[in-house]
Amino acid sequence: MKAVERVDQFYLLKQLPKATALLCKKGIVQDASCSWLEIFSQSLQDKNHQTKIFPLYPEFLDLEKKLMEHTPFSIKHKIKSSKGTRHLKSYFAPWFDEKENVIGTIVQTDDITSEVEKEQQIDWLNNILETKVEVSKTGWWEYEIEEEKLTWCKETKRIHQVPECFEPTVIEALNFYKPGYSRNKASMLFHKIALSHQPYDAKLMIVTLHGEERWVRITGKPIIENGKTVKVFGTIKDIHDQVTAETTVKEHQQLLSTLVDSLPLNVYVKDLESRKVLVNKGECKFLNKKPEQVIGKTDFDLYSEETAKIFREEDLQVMKHLTPIIGKETASTVHGKTIYFLTSKIPYFDLEGKVCGLIGMSLDITNIKKKEEQLRNLINITSMQNQKLISFAHIVSHNLRSHSANFSMLLGFLNSEKDAEERKRILKMLSQASDNLLETLENLNQVVDINTKTSETKTPLNLKNNVLKVLENLSALLEENKSQVINNISENIEVNCVPAYLDSIILNLVSNAIKYKSPNREPLITINAVKSNEGIILSISDNGLGINLDKYGDKIFGMYKTFHNRKDAKGFGLYLVRNQIEAMGGSITVQSEVDKGTTFNVYFNEES
Amino acid sequence: MFILMKKVSCIFIVDDDPITVFGIKKMLRTVTHCDDVQIFQNGHEAYEAIKERQEKGENIPDVIFLDINMPIMDGWGFLDELIDLNIDEHVVINMITSSIDPADHKKWNSFKDRCPHILNFKNKPIFKIEPEDLGCINVAS
Repeated sequence: MKAVERVDQFYLLKQLPKATALLCKKGIVQDASCSWLEIFSQSLQDKNHQTKIFPLYPEFLDLEKKLMEHTPFSIKHKIKSSKGTRHLKSYFAPWFDEKENVIGTIVQTDDITSEVEKEQQIDWLNNILETKVEVSKTGWWEYEIEEEKLTWCKETKRIHQVPECFEPTVIEALNFYKPGYSRNKASMLFHKIALSHQPYDAKLMIVTLHGEERWVRITGKPIIENGKTVKVFGTIKDIHDQVTAETTVKEHQQLLSTLVDSLPLNVYVKDLESRKVLVNKGECKFLNKKPEQVIGKTDFDLYSEETAKIFREEDLQVMKHLTPIIGKETASTVHGKTIYFLTSKIPYFDLEGKVCGLIGMSLDITNIKKKEEQLRNLINITSMQNQKLISFAHIVSHNLRSHSANFSMLLGFLNSEKDAEERKRILKMLSQASDNLLETLENLNQVVDINTKTSETKTPLNLKNNVLKVLENLSALLEENKSQVINNISENIEVNCVPAYLDSIILNLVSNAIKYKSPNREPLITINAVKSNEGIILSISDNGLGINLDKYGDKIFGMYKTFHNRKDAKGFGLYLVRNQIEAMGGSITVQSEVDKGTTFNVYFNEES
Repeated sequence: MFILMKKVSCIFIVDDDPITVFGIKKMLRTVTHCDDVQIFQNGHEAYEAIKERQEKGENIPDVIFLDINMPIMDGWGFLDELIDLNIDEHVVINMITSSIDPADHKKWNSFKDRCPHILNFKNKPIFKIEPEDLGCINVAS
């Protein structure tokens, strides 16, 4: 046989580094390299002992048939031995002679154990990755720049809510980003990574295939070869729930801090040691300090010892007994000013329900307090005026009634009176009653005028000049009564008065001094004026009859009150004087001793 | 109707208003005859007169017409002084006033309780003096 004869040639085969065997058409090993024989644990046989190929591939029952087809093919197989399993791959190719006749099969076998093991390892790694992706919901993607091919993993597709068969282009992928900021940013980052190899990590919003807007975190990392980005690898993670939760928390915080800061209250939170751990703008403004100057401080650092002690006691009461203080009025002194607060303190509990401090709220009611004070004063003034009004109404009704009663009575007489002489007398009385009524009305009018025209402008008047003017008008009366007047008023004293009222006051007081002179003495009138803290006091003293003030004190300034038997005493002058000085915001007092004299003090109100 | 007439020997009219005095005097003439009718301008004058009469053992007035608002001593002041005089006789005092101030009515009530005399309160205008005003008792009716 040709083949046998050329055994030398086959010797060559033995030395081939790649495991190779030659088979005859019947599948019997003709020759083989040592390495091939080693793989299959065979030794080169003699002619009597033939090695058939088929038992060496026990898994492939149709190998014989396959060989008959005279086409190349390969099969993977394995051989188990005590050393372990060897993974192998055998290539079968037809063996031709010079005339292209098939004379057998060439077999080459590679040991692919390490490859298979690597594959297995990759599979395992893939599995791990898959699990990780599933658990962390982080998908990955990669982009091959040369081929412009973008690959999304399953999770990435799930995040985009696209079917698994979806294969996106770059444009399509970018279009998933929400138009506006997210899309622009994504495009920019993607563009940049290819050019300047800049990895990125961004939070952006996508609109999924189903139209849902979701927050994602995307990362991108360039894979660089020879200074050129060849591939971009990145991840994508759905962080929507997280972002929404964060946003909600932030919104709540924002709302709360805006609310607390803008409340027109001083708000503070204290810990168990009464240290301030939170203060709002109002509290800082009130203390005139920055928040960092207040945080950690106690009231002992901010208020006087005394005030701080009270506050600390309140705090302890709230935190120990868990009884809130609601709307308590407190006064505290800061920078020497007393400030009134409406304070509430409520216990502050931690998440476990244990008290960990208190929340305090104080409303500055200083202004309200001031207003209240003003209001109270106003009420006092009003009720005083009301009292005056009532008493005036009584005076009016009494005085008018007495005249009308007289009319009624006299007219009653007149009706039944026959005697002409008597009728004449009654008529005379009637006309007298009418005169009296007119005079009364005139007096009342005067009083009403004073009390309604309080707005009449006060002007600064020189007191001395005005007194001199009145004395001149009274000169006849003064002379007639041989009166002496000592005017001690200095030149420069001015009083804010309604001119007519000042004249009336001086006139009435001076003429009263003469009217009620003592029959035993010549009248001596002393006029003084002094400046006091409350304003200017004008005093007019006489040495006249005097009056028993214990008896008549409250009546001397009353209307139609007279105390001496004088025909010209109407009991109206002093009533008028009091109304005039009170209308100008001043007052009048009297001191008197029977048969010694009387002093009237007029207090002028300098406010205009 | 049967009226027991008590002899009215002395009447005081204490009022500073001449018209009222005129009216009272005129009305008195129609109900009684009294020779001793005295007029006073104020409470003080009337008080002095009564004190003098008491000291001299003369007639104390049976009836007094008393105004409230008067100078020097008003009607209330007069009543105070009169009570202090401790007069044994029961004088009929008619307070005559044009005042409708409730305070005056109240004051009258309080005086009525502590005054040993008969105290009437009459609002002006008055047109007639009733026998009761002179202390006459209406027995039959």
